[in-house]
Amino acid sequence: MARRVAVVGAGMTRFVRRAQETGKELAWEASREALASCELPLDRIDAVCLTSAPDAFDGVHMKGEYLSDGAGAFGRPYMRTYVGGGSGVFTAIQAYYTVASGMADVVLAVAEEKMSSTQPHPQGAFLTIFDNILERPLGPNLLWIFALEMNRYMTVHGIDKRDIAAVAVKNKRNAADHPAALLGQADITIEDVLASETLAWPVQRLDVSPISDGAVAIVVASEEAAKQITSDPVWIQGVGWNLDTAYWTNRDLVFPEYVANAARMAYGMAGVTEPRKQIHVAEPYDPFDYKELHHLEGLLLFDKGKAPEAAREGVLDRKGDLPSCPSGGLLGVGNPIAAAGLMKIAELFWQLRGEAGARQVPGTPERGVAQAWGDLMQVGTVVVMGREGGPPTTATQLETPPTATPGQSLSDAEFRSATGAVDDEIGARYAWDAGVAIGRFLDGLREGTIWGRECRNCERVLVPPRMFCERCFRGTDAWKQVENTGVVQTFSICNVRWDMQPLDEPELPAVISIDGSDGGLLHTLGEVKPDEVTIGMKVEAVWKPVGERTGSILDIAYFKPRSDA
Amino acid sequence: MLEKISRPELIRRWEGDLPVRHRYTPGVAGDAFFTALKERGDLLGSRCEHCSYTYVPARLFCERCFAELAADTEVGPGGELVSFTIVFQGIEGEPLGQPETLGAVRLDGADAVLLHRVLEPGEEPLEIGERVEVVLKPEPQRTGSILDIEGFRIPEP
Repeated sequence: MARRVAVVGAGMTRFVRRAQETGKELAWEASREALASCELPLDRIDAVCLTSAPDAFDGVHMKGEYLSDGAGAFGRPYMRTYVGGGSGVFTAIQAYYTVASGMADVVLAVAEEKMSSTQPHPQGAFLTIFDNILERPLGPNLLWIFALEMNRYMTVHGIDKRDIAAVAVKNKRNAADHPAALLGQADITIEDVLASETLAWPVQRLDVSPISDGAVAIVVASEEAAKQITSDPVWIQGVGWNLDTAYWTNRDLVFPEYVANAARMAYGMAGVTEPRKQIHVAEPYDPFDYKELHHLEGLLLFDKGKAPEAAREGVLDRKGDLPSCPSGGLLGVGNPIAAAGLMKIAELFWQLRGEAGARQVPGTPERGVAQAWGDLMQVGTVVVMGREGGPPTTATQLETPPTATPGQSLSDAEFRSATGAVDDEIGARYAWDAGVAIGRFLDGLREGTIWGRECRNCERVLVPPRMFCERCFRGTDAWKQVENTGVVQTFSICNVRWDMQPLDEPELPAVISIDGSDGGLLHTLGEVKPDEVTIGMKVEAVWKPVGERTGSILDIAYFKPRSDA
Repeated sequence: MLEKISRPELIRRWEGDLPVRHRYTPGVAGDAFFTALKERGDLLGSRCEHCSYTYVPARLFCERCFAELAADTEVGPGGELVSFTIVFQGIEGEPLGQPETLGAVRLDGADAVLLHRVLEPGEEPLEIGERVEVVLKPEPQRTGSILDIEGFRIPEP
């Protein structure tokens, strides 16, 4: 039987565009505040759990080791976990199982991100999430993946962009009450969001959370230790995490099944049978405004396609029936990736103790859920937290937390002129092998044919092909030639490059399901005007001339509307 | 596993990179350290009285007890050679025309050790435990960089 585990303290730095502090210094500032919040000295900490997203952001290889001193890991059991954007919530899960298992009684969990070091744009570090051989030659941009998912979600459910923009408005307004927020704005309107620059249609500038620096820490304790430390622990009642396939073009982009799986795991552990009644406050992951809605549905708090209506009707407002992101979320407080996820756990801690001050949701919420999402847009991490035994016993504090907000912002000029600053690059180059399945697939492209691999167990034809079926975990059975035609599952009209520089001509990335297969490919569309593209459009591959083909995904120049359709 | 490639022309490689550069700013303690080095030629450390340990370069916090520290403890310029190595190859494995000597030095008044070049080590073999001293660039050439320190040298007898 696992031991009961509680959160007993929380602290964070300001989230800023550029922090003066190093990553280590940010981690220390947040950790010190978390320890101070429950009056613990560092020597009461038995083990340290740390998370931080890709090493390439801070530009420090083995970032876990680099950050260890600032996280209080000196001379202690210590481990960094990392599941991309899902990391911040996952490190609370890591702290949970470290304590529940009996390995430690008191754990410090720390999340840090310093994205401002990355030049010319942190998106450069994201490019390798795309398949090196099948996707990167297309010149993708991180926004593509969000725009493609958002378009399909909106189109399948017939969602009005205004209802999605309402999420950005709600969160930036909520963040106006957060002392550590980067983008709080009490007077922002839906019109402001809809008037912002279109980056990759349907994604506009104000649909997106800001690049940020910051750190968050919490203290997690066993039942016995928690009761010594505080009269009002907030219990971690359930945890869950789950991964979808790495082949994102094979995925259902409309509903995040992996989030639902993680939620079912966490609710099951927490004894939550009716989440819509038993969850009183939610902190779903909101790097983009539509993602909050997508995730509220994944968390089983709304029917599929119904969360946007709730945003429109104020259900998600701080005083609504299901307050969502009362912190202000990533859209308002900021998005230092790993730290932003743990900020959601800290917010539930304050909300459930009745200590959230100006951000306090009304009533006495007894249970909340926090969720984050990441890796290759495929991991769901979920934590259910609750307080038990009547109204909070600690005096409600008048000041809105976090009451201490360390973290200094550097202006652009200060960043450029800082004494002691060093410009550098990792300077690593890579040569990626195509491998067995993709090697054969590329040979087919050179001949003007598209090939998949058949799994006779689940009766799927896999495109892109692989030598094993990730569902059945057995070798696939045979090569099968599929059609050179397909159907547009989703598309975007992208106006910017990966480094956010404007493009002369918009690009039309699309996910195309290939006829005769159960899979799909990322590619671009051509010979069509942007406003004529529709989801469900039948398309065909346009091949480069035979002599110009090299055995590359670019042997398909693009897909165009089918001449016979 | 297909490890053995008998027809190298069949190996298909995609070359790529991670198109990022980084600008590292030195942080709160680093700012104090590099400003003092550049403007005054001082080597600043941070003393934690609780742990009886002096860090160099200066730090904002003690990693042992988490106390906040100030960049207010001057160390060096003399010190003790804790270890050294003589490097004959560059990072790509190419031979260096002139071998380079690197030393780890505990500066007087510090507990932490600083890494830098050993300048003109001379004919006599270096010895661990030997006295060395910091050589700074002249003030007009200093920019606020670890290279404002030229290296360590064996003091004149």
